[in-house]
Amino acid sequence: MLVWFLPLFLVLLMVGMPVFFALLFAPGALLWLNGQERDVALLYRNVYNGMDSFPLMALPFFMLAGELMNRGGITTRLVEFSQALMGHLRGGLAQVNILSSILFAGLSGSAVADTSALGSTLIPAMEKNGYSRKFAAAITAASSVIGPIIPPSGIMIIYAYVMGESVAALFLAGIVPGVLVGVGLMIMVRLMADKYDLPKAERIVNKGQTITKREDWISKVLLRINLGGVLYALYSLISGSLTLPAVNGLVVFAVLLVLAHFIIASLRGQVSEDFRLVTKKAVAPLQTPIIILGGILVGVFTPTEASAIAVAYALVISFFVLRSMKLSDLPGILTKSAIGSATVLLLVGAAVAFKTVVSLSHAPETLAEYMLGLASDPLLLLFLINILLFIVGMFLDAGPAIIILGPILGPIFLDMGVHPVHFAIIMSVNLTVGLATPPMGLVLFVASSVSGERVEAISKAILPFLAVEVVVIFLITYFPAISLAVPDYFGFVRDVDLQGPLLNRIFGG
Amino acid sequence: MVILQVPLALLSAFNSIVLAIGRQIGWIALGLMVFVILLQVVMRYIFNAALPWPDEAARFLMLWMTGLVAPSAYRWGGFVAIDMIPDMLPGTVAKVLLLLLTFLATLILIVAIGFGWSHTFGFGGNFNSGSLRIPLDWFGGENIRVKLRYMYASFLTCMILLLFVNVELILRQIVLLLRPDTELPDDGAGKYLAATSGPDTVGGSVRVD
Repeated sequence: MLVWFLPLFLVLLMVGMPVFFALLFAPGALLWLNGQERDVALLYRNVYNGMDSFPLMALPFFMLAGELMNRGGITTRLVEFSQALMGHLRGGLAQVNILSSILFAGLSGSAVADTSALGSTLIPAMEKNGYSRKFAAAITAASSVIGPIIPPSGIMIIYAYVMGESVAALFLAGIVPGVLVGVGLMIMVRLMADKYDLPKAERIVNKGQTITKREDWISKVLLRINLGGVLYALYSLISGSLTLPAVNGLVVFAVLLVLAHFIIASLRGQVSEDFRLVTKKAVAPLQTPIIILGGILVGVFTPTEASAIAVAYALVISFFVLRSMKLSDLPGILTKSAIGSATVLLLVGAAVAFKTVVSLSHAPETLAEYMLGLASDPLLLLFLINILLFIVGMFLDAGPAIIILGPILGPIFLDMGVHPVHFAIIMSVNLTVGLATPPMGLVLFVASSVSGERVEAISKAILPFLAVEVVVIFLITYFPAISLAVPDYFGFVRDVDLQGPLLNRIFGG
Repeated sequence: MVILQVPLALLSAFNSIVLAIGRQIGWIALGLMVFVILLQVVMRYIFNAALPWPDEAARFLMLWMTGLVAPSAYRWGGFVAIDMIPDMLPGTVAKVLLLLLTFLATLILIVAIGFGWSHTFGFGGNFNSGSLRIPLDWFGGENIRVKLRYMYASFLTCMILLLFVNVELILRQIVLLLRPDTELPDDGAGKYLAATSGPDTVGGSVRVD
């Protein structure tokens, strides 16, 4: 009897009931029909308890940090930096678009923010450079899906919370898949550049820019500290295998800092003044992902604390370094972030309540039986599940989709021996790509409103890029090492089978 | 029509005021949350003296932020739904379907308010929160411990505000169904969007996905 709440839920969802209400109505109605009125009261409490969570607080904070960064005018800096690196290639601005998305993904966890921020600067620039508007909008939308895959990521925080996984593990697991999507798109653009003779662009758009003294100093110092940090990490790696004399870590770091300074000083002569300036201006914004990930990796911060620090850093940068924001801008930004997070938090609470009914109803077991009846081969099942996720992604936004499907599908695949973090990444990447698939892809609509191009035209132009993303989805699905190697290396996941079922079958497990 | 339009105008004006106050409290709460967590980070890592209350205080603020702000999102169509089928249906049928769904939402909200009432004012709400108290001893008085019901009330408030919005939406939908060309009272969405949306966001709120 209770199992019927799933079909009821799907029907309500399809006819247009808001997800929040559908998540409550379907299980509530069937529990009530079943005479389990007590459990209906429990449903209410579970929504409340689902929202009352410290780890979940990372969500509003990352949304706020992304919004602050966005307003603070850092988008232009990222684009100019990307262009200095890749603008001179054939199809230069398309490549710049992808690289900017990869960089932007480290600051914000949202594909929508990515499309609207990068689209509003890059689409006009690409049109001026000779690209068609639909192509420019399509590559913006296609590359924006990297946003929620590379940490920080809103949907990963939600998934981790609802499914009881570690946010840090999911964040780390998303890095390589996100870069892989980016590289795949870049290869596609390269191929298209030959075929359609895509134009090159200037590496430096605005020559002779200036930088404030304060920012100049901050960039210089940050750059040296970061390089010193990288050298220090290398040193610890080497000193682990060699037996070097024990020296105080601070002393080593100081020596490496000096070394870093000389490395940078020797390199600076090799690039133009303009290139140096553009790079310098990108240092402060790009420090954000380093602070977030570094803090979580070293184990100093919880993701929630890291997100609050990201907000503080964004505030400091936009008020004191870039000086691009006024105090009177703050209420608007906070209100906007509050509205955005409130709707998501309500959804998460409802999803937690929904999940308890899912397990009460034994729906995963019933579904698992059915699916195993269709196919018992895990390779085939993973293929089928990707098709299902892809179809769902066409119609539903990634956030709601992941909290609805996670509790239903997760247990089935964990039983089959798929690692929970691996499955989380499969779901996240697939549903995020779904944001850019016609007919109901959210970022397609955003790209359309930013560029003024029709959704249908963008939908057609985006197809080659979607093909690339589908290939990446299957690579991620069948090679768990792509997502699990990084969290495994840092000790954030346990009992990992990096080979996965496919390689095990080929080489013998 | 006047029978519908007068209550709609009144309710709409009421909602506009109450929700505007809610949004004001909401953004301040979000700002305080950041402040409180940063304070905790500073106390823990720099002064090595973690405070007992910031975690719970931040959760308190988050719950109230959600409760007071979410109804604005609902009113302005910010609750995610799949509109593909309603979009494909002919206008009147789609409107009737929407009205039906909004009625169902009313039912959910009324039931939820019932549960919320007993959740908030029942036995459980009487317990004191783990670490939160209002420090009246700073002013020579006695500390008041924050009761769990002060947190529980946030979600009850949310449901009540959602119900107000929901009734307003029903009235709007009925009026539009009967007379599609009626001019409806302003729900503030346009003004809000004009003030806040830049090139960087769409729909007036930050999106998670």
